[in-house]
Amino acid sequence: MSADISDLSLVRRVQGGDKGAFDALVLKYQHKVTKLVMRYVRNPAEAEDIAQEAFIKAYRALPQFRGDSAFYTWLYRIAINTAKNAVVSRDRSPVDYDLDIQNTDESYELQGRMKDAETPEGLVLTDEIRTTVNAAMDALPEDLRTAIVLRELEGLSYEEIAASMDCPVGTVRSRIFRAREAIDRRLREVFEGGLGRTEELG
Amino acid sequence: MNEELDSQLSAMFDDELPTGECELLARRLSRDAALQSRWGRYAAIGAAMRGDLRLHGSVAVKVNVALAAETTLTQVPVTAAAGGRRTATLWWRGIAGAALAASVAALSILWLQGGYSAGGPGLLVARAPATAATPESYVVPRTAEPRMTVPATELANYVVAHSEFSTPVSRRNLLSALMASEPAAAGTPEQSLGSVDDPNPHADDAH
Repeated sequence: MSADISDLSLVRRVQGGDKGAFDALVLKYQHKVTKLVMRYVRNPAEAEDIAQEAFIKAYRALPQFRGDSAFYTWLYRIAINTAKNAVVSRDRSPVDYDLDIQNTDESYELQGRMKDAETPEGLVLTDEIRTTVNAAMDALPEDLRTAIVLRELEGLSYEEIAASMDCPVGTVRSRIFRAREAIDRRLREVFEGGLGRTEELG
Repeated sequence: MNEELDSQLSAMFDDELPTGECELLARRLSRDAALQSRWGRYAAIGAAMRGDLRLHGSVAVKVNVALAAETTLTQVPVTAAAGGRRTATLWWRGIAGAALAASVAALSILWLQGGYSAGGPGLLVARAPATAATPESYVVPRTAEPRMTVPATELANYVVAHSEFSTPVSRRNLLSALMASEPAAAGTPEQSLGSVDDPNPHADDAH
């Protein structure tokens, strides 16, 4: 399977005027890009602003994208440059530790938590989703769990997973799909109708 | 939802779908709200597994709003895959399509922020400024370029307009974030990236 073919299919559609395809690309990569940007700025809100700007730059530049590199590689460069420029323009060091306390490991951790805590409800919700996903993972049959872990955490291709699990590629595809569906179903069960527990905490 | 279709979507998400199927599904994905929502959830599941998930805001919604407001471009020079240039008529030809795209991105995030969402077309495009902007260049400028910011008022209006589809806490999350970011959105020129030397990151592809 040629790498990046699905991204290229979406990119070609965007280049042809289908903006909905760009939404799909943003949905796919927003988490990765935001995490990438957070290597340069620790403030989550600022990181999201920079990620947003990177996606907008990418959108504008897409007509010049020829597919010589993978789309994410290209987007990665845009995001890195946007983040670096943002840091320089605000005269900040790449990692902004400004707590007036001793720079122990604990202080770094504390600072990270303080900055993350700008939106407590968002944090609670994020934790709830993580907890639910982890619980759903634990409940998966072993073969499904192994397949999706090898894919999402180890980044293996279906062919590599098939070799690792000694099964056909089609079986890998089916296992990963069923794992995702099981996790998605669990998420929907938990969050359908609103966030009861979060409401109480909020 | 068709299970085979969902299975294809999962494989496409992993770049493991054959090219022909991929192109067909890409077309459907760009137009099918339910499919796009599922696609976004697959991304969120992977991010949660890796510890990358962050829901402080909603980048997809902000990008969608910013792009919806920025241009009325109808003709864009496009470098085709084969290397030739062609003129494509484009981005904002279908207001309905754009509105649907806006709602898809927004609802996907709103779902993640609390409760399932489903809804009709958004109001964003209808509210987008009719006088949008200077003639568009699709080359990232090397010089001063004001920082893109989300039109917070439009986004707030959107959230309120679709409040029936979201939980109180998700509305509060988003609106609180908007209020908190309002001063930044009104930002000063010094905050822009304009003064920074911005080497074109796309040079490799921009031949």
